[in-house]
Amino acid sequence: MAYITTTLTMPVTGERIQPASDLELARAAAAGDSAAFEKLYEEHHRRVYSLCLRMLGTGTHAEDLTQEVFLQVYKKIGSFRGDSAFTTWLHRLTVNQVLMHFRRRGVKLEHTSEEGDFTNVVDTPLQSTRRISMVDRLALEKAISQLPPGYRTVFVLHDVEGYEHEEISNLLDVSIGTSKSQLHKARMRLRELLTKK
Amino acid sequence: MGCKQCQELLSDYIDGALELGEQVNIERHLGDCEPCRAVRDDLLQIVHFSHQLPMQAPSAALWPRISSDLAELQPTFWTRTLRWLASFRTLNFNFSVPQLVAGVAALVIVASIGVMLSRRDNPQPELTASSGQLSMADVRPLSQTDLQQLEKQISQLSQTVEQRKEAWDPELRTAFERNLLYIDQSLVECRHQLKDNPSDNVSQELMLNAYREKVRLLEGFEKF
Repeated sequence: MAYITTTLTMPVTGERIQPASDLELARAAAAGDSAAFEKLYEEHHRRVYSLCLRMLGTGTHAEDLTQEVFLQVYKKIGSFRGDSAFTTWLHRLTVNQVLMHFRRRGVKLEHTSEEGDFTNVVDTPLQSTRRISMVDRLALEKAISQLPPGYRTVFVLHDVEGYEHEEISNLLDVSIGTSKSQLHKARMRLRELLTKK
Repeated sequence: MGCKQCQELLSDYIDGALELGEQVNIERHLGDCEPCRAVRDDLLQIVHFSHQLPMQAPSAALWPRISSDLAELQPTFWTRTLRWLASFRTLNFNFSVPQLVAGVAALVIVASIGVMLSRRDNPQPELTASSGQLSMADVRPLSQTDLQQLEKQISQLSQTVEQRKEAWDPELRTAFERNLLYIDQSLVECRHQLKDNPSDNVSQELMLNAYREKVRLLEGFEKF
């Protein structure tokens, strides 16, 4: 157990001990230190699960997918060199795993509305003054889960996770214009869903 | 600018992605149009709260499930070795043939010195041998039965690996054959040593280890 202790904490000046960084944990995990891998799971599983949950729109498969993500992390952790932050690497791996899940299930992200029609941007009457009341978290989560997969994917990546349109266009293999258009439609659809509430 | 055009541009406006001219136009329209202002404010709320959604936690049963799967994925000695070898691909070593030969020679010399020192430190017990064949019954760590079992195991594993080898990619096949060659060379060396000196317990130990390594290697590659 001495090895595990030394890999999980890094001594710094004086008597202070600071927790091991993600990079140190990743290196230890790649060398077969299961305690280090568990520590990485503890640190990041909520983030991974939340992303899976929001992109899928349902909790049914979110845990299964989180499990798949961490198995992939375990298999690929040796390839993490620390060129980017571990969270960035993990985030990208999670998004790719969710997109693969969509592909396996034949979910077409390009057809973002039930009608497959992108031209009708505004669903609510233009002159409507109906306002959504103060957005509460649960209502927003529920509304996001009701978005069509394509809208939801772009919305979660951009507005929840902070991706840029360029990154989204690369991930989804769509143009930046399509990404922007889908984001706008997603926001307008959310407004509609929250107004109906 | 009409309401339709304004509302189509609202997301870009909120994200600050509009050019100055469009921005001025949309702000002029928003100043006069209450419905469009309402849409803008609603979108702002949605964007604002979406940025702040808290993380959610899966059930506590998830880690035991992952942990159980990981136990099945634990890398064998040889897959770890392969990973380690693969890590060198990212480094750019350039050796000439004489340098490589010198390096191998240095390794052989160091290994030989190690074996000699080890022999000097460990007095060797008397062992019997017949017609150049080692009597394994007298080897402390390896009985005749153990040896037969290991050889049988190696033979079975080799058959399986041979069948699967065709489907491997060339890199994997090369890695396997290189490792197998090292082990077989060690075995040949040990047999020679034991032929000359059947009581050499260091060579017996090395031979036993080589056999075990060969089993591990074949077991590791049997799954590919």
